[in-house]
Amino acid sequence: MRDRSTYFGFALFAVFLALVPLTAANEYSLRLFMIFFIYAVIALGLNVLVGLAGLISLGQAGLFALGSYAGAILSTRAGFDLVTSSIVAILISSVFGALLAYPTVRVRGVYLAVITIAFGLIVENIAIELQSLTGGTTGISGIPKPSAFGISLLGMRYYWVLAFILFFVALVTHNLKRSKYGRAMLAVSQSETAAQSVGLNVTSIRTLAFVVSAGTAGLAGVLYAFLNSYISPDIFTFSDSVRFLLMVIFGGAGTTTGSLIGALILTYLPEYLQQLQYWQKFAYGLLLAVVMFVLPLGVFGTFAEVFRRFRPQARSADVTNVLPVEDAVRDQKSGAPGGAELAASGLTVRFGGLTALNNVALKVRPAEIHALIGPNGAGKSTFVNTVTGFYQPDSGHFDIDGAKLNGQAPHTIARKGFARTFQNTELFGELSVMENIMVGYQRRFTYNFLDAAIRSPRFNRQEDECKTVALSLLAFVHLADYAHERARFLPFGLQRRLEIARALAAAPRLLLLDEPAAGLTTQEIEDLDGMIRRIASLGISILLIEHHVDLIMSVADRVTVLDYGVVIASDVPPVIQDNPRVVEAYFGTPAITARVAS
Amino acid sequence: MQAVVQYVLSGLAIGGIYALVALGFHIMWSAARAVNFAHGDTLMLGAVLTIMGIDAGLPLSIAVAVSIAASCLFGVLLERFAVRPFAKTSASIGWMLTTIAVGIMLEALVTMRFGGFSRALPSPGVTHAISIFGAGVYPQELLIPVVAILIMVGFGWVRRRTLIGRAMQAVSFDRSAAALMGINVNAIFALSFGLAAALGGAAGILVAPVTQASATMGLILGLKGFAVAIIGGITSAPGVVIAGLGFGILEKFVEGYISTAAREIIGFSVTILVLLIFPQGLFGKREVFKV
Repeated sequence: MRDRSTYFGFALFAVFLALVPLTAANEYSLRLFMIFFIYAVIALGLNVLVGLAGLISLGQAGLFALGSYAGAILSTRAGFDLVTSSIVAILISSVFGALLAYPTVRVRGVYLAVITIAFGLIVENIAIELQSLTGGTTGISGIPKPSAFGISLLGMRYYWVLAFILFFVALVTHNLKRSKYGRAMLAVSQSETAAQSVGLNVTSIRTLAFVVSAGTAGLAGVLYAFLNSYISPDIFTFSDSVRFLLMVIFGGAGTTTGSLIGALILTYLPEYLQQLQYWQKFAYGLLLAVVMFVLPLGVFGTFAEVFRRFRPQARSADVTNVLPVEDAVRDQKSGAPGGAELAASGLTVRFGGLTALNNVALKVRPAEIHALIGPNGAGKSTFVNTVTGFYQPDSGHFDIDGAKLNGQAPHTIARKGFARTFQNTELFGELSVMENIMVGYQRRFTYNFLDAAIRSPRFNRQEDECKTVALSLLAFVHLADYAHERARFLPFGLQRRLEIARALAAAPRLLLLDEPAAGLTTQEIEDLDGMIRRIASLGISILLIEHHVDLIMSVADRVTVLDYGVVIASDVPPVIQDNPRVVEAYFGTPAITARVAS
Repeated sequence: MQAVVQYVLSGLAIGGIYALVALGFHIMWSAARAVNFAHGDTLMLGAVLTIMGIDAGLPLSIAVAVSIAASCLFGVLLERFAVRPFAKTSASIGWMLTTIAVGIMLEALVTMRFGGFSRALPSPGVTHAISIFGAGVYPQELLIPVVAILIMVGFGWVRRRTLIGRAMQAVSFDRSAAALMGINVNAIFALSFGLAAALGGAAGILVAPVTQASATMGLILGLKGFAVAIIGGITSAPGVVIAGLGFGILEKFVEGYISTAAREIIGFSVTILVLLIFPQGLFGKREVFKV
């Protein structure tokens, strides 16, 4: 149903693009419409960065300028045509987009905003300063008329070229949004930690978002240069960067339709406001402020939200025809390597003066349920965070099936077959329950960017597989009734189960459960008991961190006890139960315990 | 030698303005974890209102006092109506856009009332230039960095020693916990934005005799002040003042030896480089990451 409305939307958009020139009263109104096409291309690309990856760029005019100047210089000096100069411009601006993405490794939010602002102003001033190349403040005029492969593209022909490019960019960015790339970007923007834990390389995903937004801005720049046949630095100011960002937010960040609407409104609005003369800029500011108050999700975003409220989607999913869980968690391609062996030895982690883990050795054997227990502050979660790569050990090492893992990034470790849950659940709150699980499946996909852009058969096949697996896991954790609910609306106990399902979607060989029973009711813990046994029976090794003694004694094959960062015992449950040091760690000195007992 | 002294002194003057603007960002950030993106416009407001006050026949001192009070009021109102509704969720960038929108409106209004041209603000500080090692400089220009340092020291004292200052720190760490301890979080937000805007107004009045006042003077001062705040580490008052003064001196040297456009290119490139090497700014505190 959702697919049908997408096809309908794009068909409608194509008809719109075809009909507009018939209604255009004169050359000027047609030209204005072509300017809208160019701005829309920028907005669609920027939407990938802002709406999906959750990053800000206030320097988009700089990338637009790069493309524009590249196109203008290549066509006036070297005789490049529309196609060749577009390719070069896209490449140049993409390279700068990738460079801009690099700081996101370390800075975010307002810091990133400053970097992008600075970038935009640098480009603007370089255009002024490099007179011999860019013509300085007077700019470049006499850009040749657009042509491609020797065919002139004047007047209406250029209109069709622009219309086709806009349609194509809208289609590709929309497809991207509904592929593993779009889901990964959304996931990274909502919880970086969780995204890494399912094997997503946060840096490369952010770089991709920047490159897409930069490449489209560069393309738009060339198209603009050929349309206007004149460019100068004052077309690419900070205010223009603000306007491009506003197009995305105004229309509705994260939606393709919203970006188009935002670009349309913010292209035409200044034209209409000109009638107000002096009040023009004031009205512009006022309108922005009003929209932010009345429609905080943007024009289309708010519309979609209201629509959803009046015609709620079915919350549940049909799981009558799903795979048995053992097939869902087995990766077809890599076969079934079975449970992994995790071995840590001499692991020491210090936080300042506090030694959280002191020379810890621990071994989880293949397909065993290994429980790690200890009083609060014993270092259990530190252990999990260390072996999943989130903390760096000060000394010691850990490896999977004999392969050393020290010093590797969390996403690399996750790709070796680790999957985990978090003590304080880390879900992708704004994504649906189903989508959360699909993000877990991420590393099992093998299709590439091109497959996603054109929705190739390979893309469709793998996406279908992913959906089937997700539905199977939904059924396994009994969340089918909430499939289309946003994850953050789930009650706590269900969020825990969703985390387990997401971890299983990665087809892990080792599952680390960080206090999965905390905050659960007795009934829920009983269900969890069964679930853990079932997972282990699928041949997945489990490291279970828990406080709940009954659960541990019931499911664990082996128990390791930590106290003040030191392993004080490691054995089968009945032996642990009688170990005096363990009793002491939990209840105080034996003397007191004895007195309480008697 | 003479040129070097000249660049350093002029650099300290313009750098003092950047430092004052950056201090405003620091004050807002250190309470609300949000800033007024149109903070540069409070400088414009202070300068323009003072000139209009003098036009209306007010003595300079009264005009200055009224303008600073008006800037302060602007800051409080802006926080209440443009920032607070959007600052609830930390991920929100709503406040960024609403404050930009308010800035656009303010600039448009001022252009209508004040005209689209630049005017100098008469001040006793610019009647006679004094000569230091052969470099000519107005007393007003020397005053600016001194004011910046005094305000930095004064605000640092308020932040550490007074109840209100400690309340601001508490709110910036954890606003729900601060509210549970009986701190009126909204009042603290309003206070910090009001204080920052009053400071912005004062900075505008200080700079207007040197650079002239216009409806559009705020944009670039605001942008550079923000860049300076980020370079210095927005959580550190001495950091942003040092960064501001340094940035001003750097600009004057590049401008003197190369060109105005090169000044912007090098200034903003330095901004990016510093952030790449020191993600929290030169003097900012590192925020601890915990899984």
